[in-house]
Amino acid sequence: MGGLTTSLFMGVQALEASEAALNATSNNIANANTPGYTREVAQFSENQESLTGGTVIGGGVSLDSIQSVRDELLNLQIQQQTSLQGSADTQSSILQQLQTNFSNTGSDIGSALSAFSSSLADLSANPSSSAVQQSVLSAGQNLANSFNNTASGLTTAQAGADSQVTQTVAQINSITAQIAQLNAQLSPSVMSQQNGGTIEDQRDQLVQQLSQLVGVSISQSSDGEVITTANGSPLVMGSQSFQLQTTTGSDGFQQVLDSNGNNITSAIQGGQLGGAIQMRDQTIPGFMNSLDTLASQFATAFNAAQAQGFDSNGNPGQAFFSVPTGTAGAAAGIQVALTSGSQIAVSSDGTVGSNGNVANLSAALTNALPSGQSASGAYGELVYDVGNTASNAGAQSSAVGQNLLQLTNQQSSVSGVSIDEETTNLIRYQTAYEAAARIVSTIQALSTVTLDMGSSQSY
Amino acid sequence: MGADAQTRNRAAGEHLVLLRSLARELERAIEAIAHNNLAELEESIATQQDLSVRLTELAHNRREAAHATTDHNLDGDLRGEIQTAAGELQKLNLRYSLLIEHSSRSAAQMAALFRSFRGQFQEASGARENHTTLSCQV
Repeated sequence: MGGLTTSLFMGVQALEASEAALNATSNNIANANTPGYTREVAQFSENQESLTGGTVIGGGVSLDSIQSVRDELLNLQIQQQTSLQGSADTQSSILQQLQTNFSNTGSDIGSALSAFSSSLADLSANPSSSAVQQSVLSAGQNLANSFNNTASGLTTAQAGADSQVTQTVAQINSITAQIAQLNAQLSPSVMSQQNGGTIEDQRDQLVQQLSQLVGVSISQSSDGEVITTANGSPLVMGSQSFQLQTTTGSDGFQQVLDSNGNNITSAIQGGQLGGAIQMRDQTIPGFMNSLDTLASQFATAFNAAQAQGFDSNGNPGQAFFSVPTGTAGAAAGIQVALTSGSQIAVSSDGTVGSNGNVANLSAALTNALPSGQSASGAYGELVYDVGNTASNAGAQSSAVGQNLLQLTNQQSSVSGVSIDEETTNLIRYQTAYEAAARIVSTIQALSTVTLDMGSSQSY
Repeated sequence: MGADAQTRNRAAGEHLVLLRSLARELERAIEAIAHNNLAELEESIATQQDLSVRLTELAHNRREAAHATTDHNLDGDLRGEIQTAAGELQKLNLRYSLLIEHSSRSAAQMAALFRSFRGQFQEASGARENHTTLSCQV
């Protein structure tokens, strides 16, 4: 153990270790101003001594190399991807729920518009039939109900996202408090005689869970680990945690406040909280606005057509639908204003048996609304929009999941490769990704051709 | 069924096989990325390139053939299968493109970090390898 060869070997190792430590230090200095650079620390630790023939022989010291830097970077990327996945999963889940409101179930707006149109065609053929007039009124009522139900579905989904905000904030507070406790246990004074590996592992897991809930930024300070939200609101500083709060805003939804009482709702990004806020404050209101616009413009157009004719009693046509003033709330509030089928303005001149105005009523369904599309066209676009958003969120969630798996695999693998080899592999990956991106474009371009080829006109 | 119709159906069948093969390759590539299997990924991409070229050529040939004839009938089931396979391929392609986007970003970040070390630091082999340095006797 104490032979000359061993001593020489250890001496060489010592020189190598010293050189590595010096290089590490110089590297830190060289990269002091490099954005994103993680400081490298040359860690020496004492090896276990051994007892040989009554003599205690020291085991020397150990040096961990820059592998730790790579681990930290991977950890950071895993946290970022975890936040992205939390957000995408939340959005995908809410959107899947939303899609059921736009499914072709027979009671959806598209079906109701179609049934309303058919009832008007019947009315054109039988303008004096009170039964047919009544069925037009019923079809109109069904259409109004469909608007109401769809709006209600959107509101319910929005309320669900809102309640998720409160629950998630509570979870965040619980986790940040636990992280702060672990940080206290990891403080240098407490840790001087202990191995902190297990506690660090616990903390890493909690940070991972926190990333799932909200996008965070992590840095080191003299007080220890500092965790903030993406906009810089502190969550944990060393052994101290900063609780987020919620309060009801003027719109009735829960707003997120930092520990100083500042409203940071719109600055929250990533994680389940970011996803829920995005759905509640951006995506669902966007759909609701489209739906309200459709309800308002359609009702206005149909009422205008009513006003051009006369009902079965010879009176000028009254408004068929009532909608709230302005666009907001139109889908939720649209109702049939008429109380009898005889009030439908069938005649264009007030004579009994005339169907002169039915064409105007029907045209309100087929003519372009101020939005530039017919009622069914605008609804179709909204359905496509909802479906496309849901599909994208699902694809995003799936892709981030695969990327996360890749990073996790990389993190857990104990590789013996050098940085040179690793860099070579990364370059190969980048080349492969570039080639893959070109194929993606080709497949996208092929879609039009393929769909066309699937038609009867191409073979 | 006439000879022309048989030819069209055969070409459509080939088209369907290519679409499904390409979809399988995209799934294979996604799995390869997730499991850090670079060789598998590179192999899959080479196959994807080959399939894409063949699909593009087939599309070109079909367009020319379509101009030359007025009879375009195609077996209805086959047409439906092509539409379904094309739709599935597009969904998969969307997922694949997003994964590539995320993975490219990760790879670029890692490469940038490693470049900053090149020539300045020689990493020790092994993730947890320690260097024994100095001993002393008591």
